[in-house]
Amino acid sequence: MKTITFDQIKTSSIALEFDELIPDEIYSWTEADFAKYQVPIGNSRFPLTDFFEVTVEGEANGPDEVEMIINGDLNRVKYIGCKMSGGNIVCNSSVDLHVGAEMSGGSILVKGNAAAHAGREMSGGYLEIEGNTKEFTGASYIGEWRGMTGGQIVVGGNAGKQCGECLTGGKIHVKGNCDILAGIHMTKGVIEIDGDVNRWPGGQMKNGNIIIHGFLGRLLEGFVLNGIVVDPEVEGVTYEGKYIQYTGDIGLNGKGNLYLDAEANKEKLATYGELDDEYTSIREYRNL
Amino acid sequence: MEYILKNGIVYDPANEVNGEKMDVMFKDGIIVDDVSADAEVLDVTDKIVMPAGIDPHAHVAGPKLVVGRLYRPEDSRRGVTQKTKVLRSESGFSIPSCPATGYRYSRLGYGTVVEAAMPPLEAKHTHEEIATIPQIDIPAMPLFGNNWFVMEYAKDNNIEDIAAFVAAWLKLTKGYGIKIVNPCGSEAWGWGMNVHGINDKAPYFDVTSKEVVVALAKANEMLNLPHSIHIHPNDLGHPGNVPTTIETMDCVKDVKKGSKAAEIRDQVMHVCHLQFHSYTGNSWKDAASGAEEVADYINKHDHITCDIGQVTLDETTTMTADAPMEYDLFKLSGLKWANKDIECETAAGIIPCIYSAKNPVNTLQWAIGLELFLHIDDPWKVCLTTDHPNAGPFTRYPRIISWLMSNTRRMEMIENREVHKWAEKRTTLATLDREYDFYDIATISRAAPARIYGFTDKGALTPGYRADIAVYDINPNDIDPSRQYAEIEKGFNVADYTIKDGQILVKDKEIVKVKESQNVWVNVQGWEKNEEKVINNIMPFFTQYYSVKWENYPVHDHYVSNPIRIDVDGK
Amino acid sequence: MTYEPPVTDYDHIVENCTCAFCGCNCDDLDYLVKDGHVVAVRHACRLGASKIMEDMDQRLIVPMIRDENGELKEVDWDTALDKAAEYIANSIRPVFYGWSETSTETMKEGVALGEYIGAVLDNQATICHGPSLQAVQNAGYPIQTLGEVQNRADMIAYSGSNAMNSHPRHMARYAVFCRGYFRQRGRFDRTVVTMDPKFSDTAKCSDKWIGFEQNGDYGFYNAIRAVLRGKELYQDVISGIPKEDIYELAEEMKNAEFGVLFFGLGLTHTLSKQRNIDIAIKMVQDLNKYSKWGLTPMRGHFNVNGFNIFMAFECGFAFGVDYCRGYPRYMMGETNTIDLLVRKEPDCFMVIAADPGAHFPNGANQHLADIPVIQIDIHWGPSTELADVVLPGSFIGVECAGTSYRMDGVPIFMKKAIDKPETCRDDEWIVRELKERVMKLREEPNTAPKYVPNPNAL
Repeated sequence: MKTITFDQIKTSSIALEFDELIPDEIYSWTEADFAKYQVPIGNSRFPLTDFFEVTVEGEANGPDEVEMIINGDLNRVKYIGCKMSGGNIVCNSSVDLHVGAEMSGGSILVKGNAAAHAGREMSGGYLEIEGNTKEFTGASYIGEWRGMTGGQIVVGGNAGKQCGECLTGGKIHVKGNCDILAGIHMTKGVIEIDGDVNRWPGGQMKNGNIIIHGFLGRLLEGFVLNGIVVDPEVEGVTYEGKYIQYTGDIGLNGKGNLYLDAEANKEKLATYGELDDEYTSIREYRNL
Repeated sequence: MEYILKNGIVYDPANEVNGEKMDVMFKDGIIVDDVSADAEVLDVTDKIVMPAGIDPHAHVAGPKLVVGRLYRPEDSRRGVTQKTKVLRSESGFSIPSCPATGYRYSRLGYGTVVEAAMPPLEAKHTHEEIATIPQIDIPAMPLFGNNWFVMEYAKDNNIEDIAAFVAAWLKLTKGYGIKIVNPCGSEAWGWGMNVHGINDKAPYFDVTSKEVVVALAKANEMLNLPHSIHIHPNDLGHPGNVPTTIETMDCVKDVKKGSKAAEIRDQVMHVCHLQFHSYTGNSWKDAASGAEEVADYINKHDHITCDIGQVTLDETTTMTADAPMEYDLFKLSGLKWANKDIECETAAGIIPCIYSAKNPVNTLQWAIGLELFLHIDDPWKVCLTTDHPNAGPFTRYPRIISWLMSNTRRMEMIENREVHKWAEKRTTLATLDREYDFYDIATISRAAPARIYGFTDKGALTPGYRADIAVYDINPNDIDPSRQYAEIEKGFNVADYTIKDGQILVKDKEIVKVKESQNVWVNVQGWEKNEEKVINNIMPFFTQYYSVKWENYPVHDHYVSNPIRIDVDGK
Repeated sequence: MTYEPPVTDYDHIVENCTCAFCGCNCDDLDYLVKDGHVVAVRHACRLGASKIMEDMDQRLIVPMIRDENGELKEVDWDTALDKAAEYIANSIRPVFYGWSETSTETMKEGVALGEYIGAVLDNQATICHGPSLQAVQNAGYPIQTLGEVQNRADMIAYSGSNAMNSHPRHMARYAVFCRGYFRQRGRFDRTVVTMDPKFSDTAKCSDKWIGFEQNGDYGFYNAIRAVLRGKELYQDVISGIPKEDIYELAEEMKNAEFGVLFFGLGLTHTLSKQRNIDIAIKMVQDLNKYSKWGLTPMRGHFNVNGFNIFMAFECGFAFGVDYCRGYPRYMMGETNTIDLLVRKEPDCFMVIAADPGAHFPNGANQHLADIPVIQIDIHWGPSTELADVVLPGSFIGVECAGTSYRMDGVPIFMKKAIDKPETCRDDEWIVRELKERVMKLREEPNTAPKYVPNPNAL
């Protein structure tokens, strides 16, 4: 096991790019290697040791045996853990764009907030963000219709717009609230939201599952009500309680599932008819 | 500067040089018989020397390419590379950026690439891109098959006016020859329709595809253009399109070649990406190969040449002026669909396409392409293309060469189930053991395209020709292409030397020099009076129904700073 | 509007000039020239005419540098160019923004300079039709040239666009009132629908106005798609529109022979941004099953589309291209001007033919005040107040020739009609000079020692 600790000396107003400092590249590096390394900043490169003091302990034979601990203000450090396939990264602060983008293995823990594009196009591994994230958490690269294909993202706080865009696999768990259009264009995978969602989850989704435990502000016309399900099982996980199930997005012949917590979304059901006291079926459908 | 390429093993089909060890000399950009003692010696002992490659049909510059690049950033990022002291940065896999296109062709040992579809209204755009692509010469083919004026003239069988129109439009757009794409079909697409078969009429214009094709072929020969008509027939990619393809080829068999054109080319019709036009069956469920029938027609008739459009089993981008077909593809795949209709002239469609070896239809397409290569006996009638980027990017040419040279590899792919079993069941590919040799490869990628396009200064190592030469690090006497197919692919992947107009652009597999590209266009002489008459006739229509002014329509000299003008005596 | 008598006092007429105002690029303008100035413009709309005629209004004439007292001082060209080149050469995160009101010939020099030094190149799309481009990248791009609209279209829909005010000749010359080959009666052969929360001037001359609620665009288009799929709507009112109206509209759109949807910033800048366009594109694709439909973004500046097209063929990405690592990168929220400025990253900013001072959000402009700003432009504007070096350019399409791309991608050669003021220079020349000076000052950063192919492209 090898522990590499980065202690910040000074911050930079222009973002540092950490895409070369991933376990796959640096597992064999010694302190002398880090001292030689020049980190990309804008159109130039500067010695990493101007910004971070690096201490290396232990030995590693592969990326899996590496633990990177990054201390300091990382609001201007981009691409942490980008494309990593193994190892463990702990960031003791909020981080900048693209944390864990395109990672295929290993784990990243962010003890703060993350900027946009966290976990973009992940194919494996585990990314946990204790704070909030901004737009495009677990999304795809622009134009790409195959987004995150595997792994898991856990957001402790709120997620920004278009979380899980083009999701093609894996799971995103948002413990807080979610902004508009979560799971837009998704084709597979699971998005679980513990908090509230303001508008339009699952726009143009083809398949996959979205579970909302909180209140949903506005639902799209492309979703068709299926009815009430009790303790639904989604990809091997059972969610206890009663949920309203919708299928969509019908404009696309989509077969995605949207589960809304029945208790939290009582008013929504008024659009269709009355919910019986037990929340087990809907008495009357209007327009259906 | 004088150079001598020493001790290479030369394949030069135009001069019937088949693997002889000899020296090739050039001076000031021209191949010569002899050089002085000061000539710089480039030692290429036991390496293959060929004329630089000529790609007869690719889409490398123009408005639909740009729509492709603009709406597929995910493809652009696939090929991103860092700049060096010599090279600019590159991007793109199936639709590389302009600099990348030039560099990659140069690395493959190519010197000339024909841009196969240029909408006249946006010809300026095509020429801006051509000027941005380095390293290669690029003739561009303006589209005529759905042009309203052409359709009107064809309806009246007014060949003389079509000829004058073509002569004028080649000057206006700085084009090389007549390209026809899904004649009448793209016009029908203006109303969301298509034509089915060659005898179907365009809505409103009341003219059949066949009438348009025959009229343009006659006009082409009347003008003595160096290239014949270049046609993408109707019904591309539809199962059961073989009769349409054969009828298209057959309808011009009685057209007499222009007397001057007959000296420099053999055909009166060049059919492009024939693979997409050789399907039997009624739907994809029962589709099968029609390659044998199509190849048989070509073997028996000398007025046809073709290129294949070989599927390479990659994720690519399809783009063609056959817009209705692209919408059909969109309905199948549901991937993002782009379309671009151009007033009074043409349309274009674009869609990403994933050719997968696991997919029966894609495998069928792959096998049909190879079948056509192997069934057509005379390599002078067939050219190596992938219809870049439609069936695959041009960077896959070496792989196709390795397939053509190795029956072992083809059988391995079929038997190991690297491809779907349809390859065996629905085509004759598994029964064909023909293997191309280096001489054949030099023919389909150099000599034949040059002959087909009527180039009189390229595609051969004849003294007086442009010194466009490629050297590959393969020793033909020490390799068994059938077994060592991987080495063949690797060898053709990067040329040891690429020489363009006597300038060494690639040396030791690295680009060492960047050269500006040149546009090649045909200037028809002797038709000036007729051209003026035709332009005067169409002017009222143009003023009213085009959205640009006549003054803004032609390609100004500003856009073709360094052209190669080919003067043709049209009378 | 008051009556203005026709201008009769002029020396000569220059015909078929191209308007350098909006994305319509009308190329049928006649300039009436007297004493080397355009005194009247025929055929142009008021917006275009006033821009062309008042070319000397608040004109930047001589190069200027901001001195230590914060005043702009007139200097000679060499001094100004050297100063600007020094700023660029010493910068780590330069951003070159603008380009939409200049020619592609200038952009060519700009991309060479940007790629050399490792800058971010971005244009006005980042604050206007950027969401449209992102949507195009997600959903597709079914477009057609404007002549096609003129000749064939029998149904025109404007969504979030007030063409009557923003592109005054769009309806007259290309889309609505003009006679087309298959639409000989012009306006009478076409149905015009305006979808806009506001009852705009365009809506006033439309056959139908769909006034959906603000920010309701996505839900509205989603409902149309659902109807096209044969679904019955369960809500009575969707995004402020009664469902009967949606059924009726969907039916009308299906029955059109050739329909075109023109959309503007009203669609790109509401709540769900690029997803509004995304779903509008999908709707157009669905409609093609029944009839022929296309769409076109109503681009604002005359060459904003040109920059996107130009960058796409130069480097594969349309706008917001970051060359800092020696290869092009394009990423929403990372390589766009506003994001960079708000993050306070750039340390040098070159603005060419644009006015961030007037258009950018306050947070972005605050950072501009802190860093060296180089301005290449023809008029004095809010950006001049932020600029540290001012380089007076020339007016494309009036004082100098160049290429522009119309909103539908048709290239137009904009010709020169009059001479530029003696002390001004062509934009192309200025940027080329800067490039050559920067090349002398700093060795090219971030070049690879050797070409290494991208493994994903093998």
